[in-house]
Amino acid sequence: MTPLRLMAATFAVAATVGAGGTAAAEEFTVGVQIPLTGAMARSGTGMSEGIQTAAELFNKSNAKHKIKLVTIDDESNPAKAVAAVEKLASQGVVALVGGFGSNIIGPASDAASKLNLVYMTAGGVDNDLTKRGHKNFFRINNTQGYERAVTQLFEEQGVKSVSIVYSTKEATADLAKDLQKSLAPKGIKVTLHPFDPAITDFKPIINKIKLQDKSEVIFMSAYENDYVGIIRAAKVLKPEIKAIVGVWSLATSKMWKDFPDLMPNITGTSLLPYPVDYKQPEGKLFNDTYRKMFNKDVDYLAQFGYVKATLLFEAIARAADGGSLKKGGLADELRKTNKETLIGRVQFDASGDNLNFRHRMGQHQDGKIVIVSPKSEATGPIVWPGLPW
Amino acid sequence: MSELVLQALYSGLLVGGVYALIALGLALTFGTMRVINLAHGELVLLAAYMAYMVESRLQLNPVFAVPLAVLVACTCSALVYLLVDRIRKNRELNSLMLTFAIGIVITNAVLLIFSGDVRSTGSPFMQDAVQLGPLFSMKSELGAFIISLVLVFALWQWLSRSWYGRAVRAVSSNRDAAKLMGINPARTELISFIVAGALAACAGVALYSSSVVHPALGHALTVKAFIITVLAGVGSVPGVLAAALLLGVTEAMTVTLWSSALQELVGMTLFLVVLLVLPNGLFGTARRRG
Repeated sequence: MTPLRLMAATFAVAATVGAGGTAAAEEFTVGVQIPLTGAMARSGTGMSEGIQTAAELFNKSNAKHKIKLVTIDDESNPAKAVAAVEKLASQGVVALVGGFGSNIIGPASDAASKLNLVYMTAGGVDNDLTKRGHKNFFRINNTQGYERAVTQLFEEQGVKSVSIVYSTKEATADLAKDLQKSLAPKGIKVTLHPFDPAITDFKPIINKIKLQDKSEVIFMSAYENDYVGIIRAAKVLKPEIKAIVGVWSLATSKMWKDFPDLMPNITGTSLLPYPVDYKQPEGKLFNDTYRKMFNKDVDYLAQFGYVKATLLFEAIARAADGGSLKKGGLADELRKTNKETLIGRVQFDASGDNLNFRHRMGQHQDGKIVIVSPKSEATGPIVWPGLPW
Repeated sequence: MSELVLQALYSGLLVGGVYALIALGLALTFGTMRVINLAHGELVLLAAYMAYMVESRLQLNPVFAVPLAVLVACTCSALVYLLVDRIRKNRELNSLMLTFAIGIVITNAVLLIFSGDVRSTGSPFMQDAVQLGPLFSMKSELGAFIISLVLVFALWQWLSRSWYGRAVRAVSSNRDAAKLMGINPARTELISFIVAGALAACAGVALYSSSVVHPALGHALTVKAFIITVLAGVGSVPGVLAAALLLGVTEAMTVTLWSSALQELVGMTLFLVVLLVLPNGLFGTARRRG
């Protein structure tokens, strides 16, 4: 073969392979309905960044399928979330991922169900979400996972009495009531203090705990702004307690950075220690890619966003390969999920709930988050009694 | 029990003081122009973020943010007035929509610039506990309460004693008659909006120093300010303080004696009952037609 013919043949092969490669990379559009503005903006933005990282990594590692994200900001508003779902459906998305806040995810996933679209989330833990009989609804976290982690911490520390201060929003109220149910049979005295999400002065509640309840532990089922108000009120009134424990958005590096005076020895749910130390290669890759894309440390929101989106993208690829994607087979494909992820093993039950979700408890210690419970997974000892003052 | 009730009364008074500070500006513009500035809470929020900026960037106590907060809030308040002043038809209704839209714009600008994170002062001095016998509070709460009393008194004196204050009352009472007396209504209204901006600035800095702020807070602040303004009765500055303290104490007592979940409900019930029994508010008088 002359050099000219060899070159022509090489070009022909390269062109064929190239054309073949392009033709094989089928693109699927996934709708992201998420709050980027409004009351849930911070949480929505964190989740959205995780979803974007998942798409980036999926597209890099997957030559056969590509994911294109179309994002609509639902402005933390249920009506706008429904409109976003309908608009995304009209744009031909194969599935939806996102949502934050059970009150928003509820109507948005109702709309998705009517449109026969899979809805995958990690932002709503309200028990009622999985009791509606929707075949297309999936979530990777739930109240039970949080409840189990907190109960175990209290058992490990031999807690005898707890005052639960909780916001009357769905998810926080659900968690408080479920926790009361699980603690009472163990002989732990529980007093409930529900509060309206609009309140900012927690001193009257903390004073009741100080003078009437006299509990060992204050447990907060609330959100970031409430945590700050509750811990501040406790710091002023100094009730004789052993610890202050909370749930989501509390044991994060961000809370330490923003409120270093309030966070020492505060414990909250956390899947990750800080500094982040992933053992598995997937975690390291996620961490590096996220840092490159957003120039900041991974947090639990991004991790939840990444895990739910990755599971969805992989199910889309499997359904496309099996030829069932266009026949409504994505939900069945997701139901077959049985995978070890960055938040533990994920398997969905018939209602779309993650059977294995279980949180860990992390404690703020000198700017680090130390996993302190369950003891089998602890990265350091707990400071108990331990308070910010 | 008495210790609980005393602390609730004390906490309620302190919270009421901050409520009064937030409501003063809205009460002034509502009293002057019959314009409900639905962006007032967002002006307070903007001032709170100025305090955050000064504290986080310059490492200064948030109190030092007052001049910057006054400048920003007054400028925005003046711009709100200039836009409202362009409304030619049905000003009372159209200004509602306009100021509501301005509030949304400010909220989203704050969100874009400062992100959706929760912010509050990190100053240990502001958060230190002050103990008065069996009563506890933060220094910042006590400070905000005292500032509120001072500003209520100053505004009251300004409205009743100064020329511009009397001009504001004259325009509020009868715009055309005030014009015949040589008062420039547009300038008077602009001044009242600027003063409202300055009050919003003080409220914002006090709020940041004693509580928690986030971009979505503005609307809730406006609603609280509006409830207090209506409870007080249009045009009554001491009434604003009294209504705010009443609301604060009622809320705190509800938490202590009943349930914290009912705090907002009881506040709204008080508002509705007062409106039913005294349609002009606690200290308002029936408005005469000029």
